[in-house]
Amino acid sequence: MTDTAREEILGRINEALGRRGGGEYVSSTSGSAPSGSPAASRADGSHSSSAAESAHPRQGAPAAGGGVVGQSADYLRTGTHSGEDLIELLVDRLVDYKANVHRVTGDPAETIVGLLEPGSAVVVPKGLDDTWLNGFTGKVSVDAPGSQLSVPELDSQAAVVTASAVSIAQTGTIVLDGSDDCGRRAITLVPDHHVCVVRVEDIVDIVPEGISRLEPSAPLTFISGPSATSDIELKRVEGVHGPRTLDVVIVDT
Amino acid sequence: MTFLGMPLLRSKHTDVNDLPGGQGNIVEDESFATVSHKHLSNQQLRNNIGHATSTIRDKRSGVVAELDDWEELREAGSRAKNQVMANLPEYLEEFEANFTAAGGIIHWARDADEANAIVTELVEANAPVLETGRREVIKVKSMATQEIGLNEHLETQGIDAFETDLAELIVQLGDDKPSHILVPAIHRNRDEIRQIFMDKMPDAGELTNDPAVLAEAARRHLREKFLTTKVAVSGANFGIADTGTLGVVESEGNGRMCLTLPETLITVMGIEKLLPSFSDLEVFLQLLPRSSTGERMNPYTSFWTGKTPGDGPQNVHLVILDNGRTRALADEHGRTALNCIRCSACMNVCPVYERTGGHAYGSTYPGPIGAILSPLLTGVETEENGSLPYASSLCGACYDVCPVKINIPEILVHLRNEDVEANHSPVSSQLDTALTGASWMMGDGKRMAAAEKGLPLAHAVSGGKSMNSLPGIAGAWTSSRDIPGLPEKSFRQLWAEDEDRDEDRDENGEDET
Repeated sequence: MTDTAREEILGRINEALGRRGGGEYVSSTSGSAPSGSPAASRADGSHSSSAAESAHPRQGAPAAGGGVVGQSADYLRTGTHSGEDLIELLVDRLVDYKANVHRVTGDPAETIVGLLEPGSAVVVPKGLDDTWLNGFTGKVSVDAPGSQLSVPELDSQAAVVTASAVSIAQTGTIVLDGSDDCGRRAITLVPDHHVCVVRVEDIVDIVPEGISRLEPSAPLTFISGPSATSDIELKRVEGVHGPRTLDVVIVDT
Repeated sequence: MTFLGMPLLRSKHTDVNDLPGGQGNIVEDESFATVSHKHLSNQQLRNNIGHATSTIRDKRSGVVAELDDWEELREAGSRAKNQVMANLPEYLEEFEANFTAAGGIIHWARDADEANAIVTELVEANAPVLETGRREVIKVKSMATQEIGLNEHLETQGIDAFETDLAELIVQLGDDKPSHILVPAIHRNRDEIRQIFMDKMPDAGELTNDPAVLAEAARRHLREKFLTTKVAVSGANFGIADTGTLGVVESEGNGRMCLTLPETLITVMGIEKLLPSFSDLEVFLQLLPRSSTGERMNPYTSFWTGKTPGDGPQNVHLVILDNGRTRALADEHGRTALNCIRCSACMNVCPVYERTGGHAYGSTYPGPIGAILSPLLTGVETEENGSLPYASSLCGACYDVCPVKINIPEILVHLRNEDVEANHSPVSSQLDTALTGASWMMGDGKRMAAAEKGLPLAHAVSGGKSMNSLPGIAGAWTSSRDIPGLPEKSFRQLWAEDEDRDEDRDENGEDET
């Protein structure tokens, strides 16, 4: 039944687009064909090539076809902040959205352990640098393939400590990508307190730079501040279903 | 640019009536003019919505102003969506191949009934029957499932669907309907929400109207459901063709809960939600949060590609939905409405929406986008959907804020034309007669002058007061407008008198300077 539905819907779309006989390829663009050639360049072709772009094999194909005549689509691909300015921007944006930010040079263990309740239960992903919890007096559970914590077990953890993949300063966003030191998604979701380590070298300025560093097939979670809602009179209130406390430890090695 | 009064041609290459319209919660069953009257008199509603929309307008304009390349981003967003629509079959097939290769299972649904049946079957196969004799699913806010009436359908099939978004929860517990696509309970203020929670959450205890307290109550209410329910249903903000990736943009973490903890995940997504490439997210993850909640970035965004061993649901389904979208696509003057990314910026700036609220639009999609999308999905001849394109003053504020530059005013005018052709032909003979008469009279200065001689009498008869109920076809005009009182003299008469005075002055040799 659904096979029939598939053919019928695709047929309707062809009809809607005015294609006759199904084989005619209609494009409103001077850009790429979608199937088989996803690496076509942007239609305007005018923006300067950035490191981010050349590193990204799937550079997409928004192309001409609408909008105001003459309006450029050449948005920024790279930001202007670097060094201390870049870190300061990230800190400012994280704090604005009610994350707690801590900066460390060198070994972050003392800072991390200081954020955890002494003697409490903490979960970490299997790839986390185990020196980061040196001196912690509580119980550390390592979540790993084959020995995953159950949901009730995760619910009984006071906190989770992870690393992170990329952070975007302009929006105060931290991205977790399911890699060994970020862990699977559930461990950073169920415990009410997330201590997240951001390495200075993983900070980028703007969103396009962040996207270009990610592996699309990984399960990705973008986090910008702790859980929040704007559903009551459009006022932002922190603390709903996700972790209500987000501690970000920015580490400069 | 909106070309008022300039009739647009109907689609030429395809008769849109060949393609079936959508079903479900996208139908206005009373005309907008009639139903909006009821809502206009609800002062509480107007206060709540006025307060909320002015808050979000300020937030949005603040974060949009932070980006120097906002207009370039809008243009890029518009082009990406146009690219998708022009090549939709290829992108859908590419998406399907990639999602399937990653272990996901795709189902196609021609309309609401078919989509509801597919989801029901999947839930029956994967959710256990509980002691109550019923099955349960948790849901993350989804316009597509709202549109197809999924919750109502599941209920008849012995399945309870629990909305987990705070605003959706408020609506569901209040036995209410959503009135905004981002904040479905925007018509409720904190006092009303407190009362709903006190009435419907048995364990909530005594609550204050503090939003933080109310959010905490929602957390406690749903916690156990998140941790134990086996099947979740979601929508999707984006489907990425070149990777087969799906994405959900949210705030509270209820989305992450639904997308991560259950064993089975069923996503319902319209065919138009695709983006060509993963890298297009660099545009859309800037456009959407800033336009939507007025944040630089929303608290949580999740992406998944089929299933990931050891992480999240291992039984991953996607229902790809038409339900009238192909019909909208066939309208070459209206198809850009499908570019909508459901940010809700247009309703937040709309002077009509701000006064009537979202319920007046009769559809899952209220406000300016709803006024074009609902009739495009169903056809203007369905019920009273032909009345929706008139729910606008054509001020154009919606176009200015649209992150993908949908020219809503132009499509409104186009659909008014469609409505006249489909629903109001032949044009009323009364109107024809009146217009023919007016044309004859106004076409000649002498006839006009003769008619104006009647003004002093008409002024005396009407007492110079404004008129609010004219007879016959003119009554349609005065049903929502007052006509100013008739003057004693026409402009032409005043002008002529003034000319006479000037001549007197000239003759007396006076100099005005």
